[in-house]
Amino acid sequence: MGVTCVSQMPVAEGKSVQQTVELLTRKLEILGAEKQGTFCVDCETYHTAASTLGSQGQAGKLMYVMHNSEYPLSCFALFENGPCLIADTNFDVLMVKLKGFFQSAKASKIETRGTRYQYCDFLVKVGTVTMGPSARGISVEVEYGPCVVASDCWSLLLEFLQSFLGSHTPGAPAVFGNRHDSVYGPADTMVQYMELFNKIRKQQQVPVAGIR
Amino acid sequence: MSGVLAVRNSIESACEKQVQDAGLDGTETYLQPLSMSQNLARLAQRIYFSQAWGSEEEEAAGAEGDTHDWAGAGSSADQDDEEESLDVAVVTCWSSTNPIEGGQKLTKSVTENKENKLKRDFNSEFLQHWKLRKVGDKILGDLSYGSAGSLFPHHGTFEVIKNTDIDLDKKIPEDYCPLDIQIPSDLEGSTYIKVSIQKQAPDIGDLGTVNLFKRLLPKSKPASPHWQTKLEVAQNAPLCKEVFAQLSREAVQIKSQIPHIVVKNQIISQPFTSLQLSISLYHSSNDKKSQKSQSPEDHLCVLEHNLHLLIREFHKQTLSSVMMPHPASAAFDHKRMRLSGPQAFDKNEINSLQSSEGLLEKIIKRAKHIFLRSRTAATIDSLATHWSNINDVYESRVKVLITSQGYEQICKSIQLQLDIGEQELQDFLLSQMSQHQVHAVQQLAKVMGRQALSFSNHVGLGPIESIGNASTIIVASPSRDYAISVRNGPESGSKIMVQFSRNHHLHGPFKEWNKMESRNFVYKMELLMSALSPCLL
Repeated sequence: MGVTCVSQMPVAEGKSVQQTVELLTRKLEILGAEKQGTFCVDCETYHTAASTLGSQGQAGKLMYVMHNSEYPLSCFALFENGPCLIADTNFDVLMVKLKGFFQSAKASKIETRGTRYQYCDFLVKVGTVTMGPSARGISVEVEYGPCVVASDCWSLLLEFLQSFLGSHTPGAPAVFGNRHDSVYGPADTMVQYMELFNKIRKQQQVPVAGIR
Repeated sequence: MSGVLAVRNSIESACEKQVQDAGLDGTETYLQPLSMSQNLARLAQRIYFSQAWGSEEEEAAGAEGDTHDWAGAGSSADQDDEEESLDVAVVTCWSSTNPIEGGQKLTKSVTENKENKLKRDFNSEFLQHWKLRKVGDKILGDLSYGSAGSLFPHHGTFEVIKNTDIDLDKKIPEDYCPLDIQIPSDLEGSTYIKVSIQKQAPDIGDLGTVNLFKRLLPKSKPASPHWQTKLEVAQNAPLCKEVFAQLSREAVQIKSQIPHIVVKNQIISQPFTSLQLSISLYHSSNDKKSQKSQSPEDHLCVLEHNLHLLIREFHKQTLSSVMMPHPASAAFDHKRMRLSGPQAFDKNEINSLQSSEGLLEKIIKRAKHIFLRSRTAATIDSLATHWSNINDVYESRVKVLITSQGYEQICKSIQLQLDIGEQELQDFLLSQMSQHQVHAVQQLAKVMGRQALSFSNHVGLGPIESIGNASTIIVASPSRDYAISVRNGPESGSKIMVQFSRNHHLHGPFKEWNKMESRNFVYKMELLMSALSPCLL
């Protein structure tokens, strides 16, 4: 597990999501990246049931249960600013049993699917974010395998991102900010995905690059 | 102190009555204790009634209580296997309801007591080897490898029944056993796996066919009773089936350059292009005609041992401490695989955890090794007479010494790892032999006081050799009277030229020298050098 940066790529002007994804993947292939199968990251939202809320009437917390095909035997459960739990796939069954405490939000399943490219030590995943039948955006994930400390390799990652994202290169993810020198883990990647999905959910339509 | 609540204490005696059931609200239902006669009957069940005093003595005990409790007491020998038995010489008792029938009952009780004695000996032996359990009124045993860790779904149960093949009037035969075995029909007969390696090119020797796990039904050994051998033979069947199932599963799943073929009960694979390895499962029923004697196994019996060991190792792994104990919700897998979820292992890490090499791959590797080794041995045998080797399961090393007869001090020792092909090996050995000749001349020259003017292991002059390179040496006498030039190549053989000096300078034509007859090359050189030295008399 190396340091990973997850960002959103705005859709090119006058093109559809599909076409933008194709543009990106073609750029990657020209760069020399090797296609290595597909990937999928999905997320379901649960909120704490009203019955468990205390008499003070605190707001229910939202819990996200996510899966990542990169870790096929694991399941991630996280709160917005809270801890992230990494469990095995039996956790999904457990959630069914905990129906009384956590209720699934309606139509909340959001996922990103796409192809996986390997370019030397970099692993690039370009995926289409879909909510239900509609495509809502494009996610780009880049992982630099050899390094596990974020502060050591952020500049290298940034340079690589610039080489194929151009002007749409993101800034340093928030997860890097809190703990510079600690070891990066899969939970941090999932937090980044959660933030990306939340951002996309809030956007009503597909964002377009460029300003009119 | 104020404010501390007093706690009620209660003392409960040790539970005298056995709890039958506990209700959901905590109330317990107790079993009523046994009445005195029931208790007595229960204790009597645990007594072995053996013939200690002789059957003439009987005492009619006025037994009160139920007759059926006592009727079962005499046959306790074959039922209460686990409980300890007291060897008490007590007696047959009749209840007051059965009239005494006299002599006939006496004879019956004699044979019954003999039976019981045999049964007791039988029990201790039987139970040492086989696990039994009682289901209803049948006694069943288990001859599968499930308790050894096998996950193969074959039940392998046999039934222990009473041997009714006895005639009370005739004399009881010596090896009579009161109990007999009934084996399910699919385990009867012999099952074996046959491994054969066949050539597909004319020059490769056929390593032959061997039958693994083949057991002719042997005559019962005098020490062990017939059911022991019968059960052992039947136990082969689930093992062979499991081995074959595992091999065929792997043959279908694993990808190799030349795909394996699985046809009915035969697996065919090709370790080398001209070699075919076939593993097949045979099942022969118990007829007399199928019991022809098979040819004895030759050197491929190592594969049998390997297959047997590998599958037993696999069994042991399922019972090892890395697998067991495991949580009820986890799959039956290595301990670290259970951690792969919570520790977010990615695909590379998961693949590294799972066992990489299967049974079939190991067997193919082993077959390849055996084959290569035998061919290499044949090659070396054709060139040399004495050589030694060190063998491992997958590797062999060979030490070859090249010497000349009479000059064993000058020797060339080669240590080879046998992973090169047959032809290359031959070429290599021939080239080493030719180099040795020239080295020997060099050593000889030192001993005889000559000087080596030039020496080259791989000379670039003269005709090109197809195998290796030619080596040359030029040896001269200290006074420069003559010079000998030797060129030896693996293919071109040896060429000896002599140059004589004129006016103490070596510049004359080289004349070829091939007139000498001698035992070997080095001897010829020695003779030549001594013949050429001027006789200073």
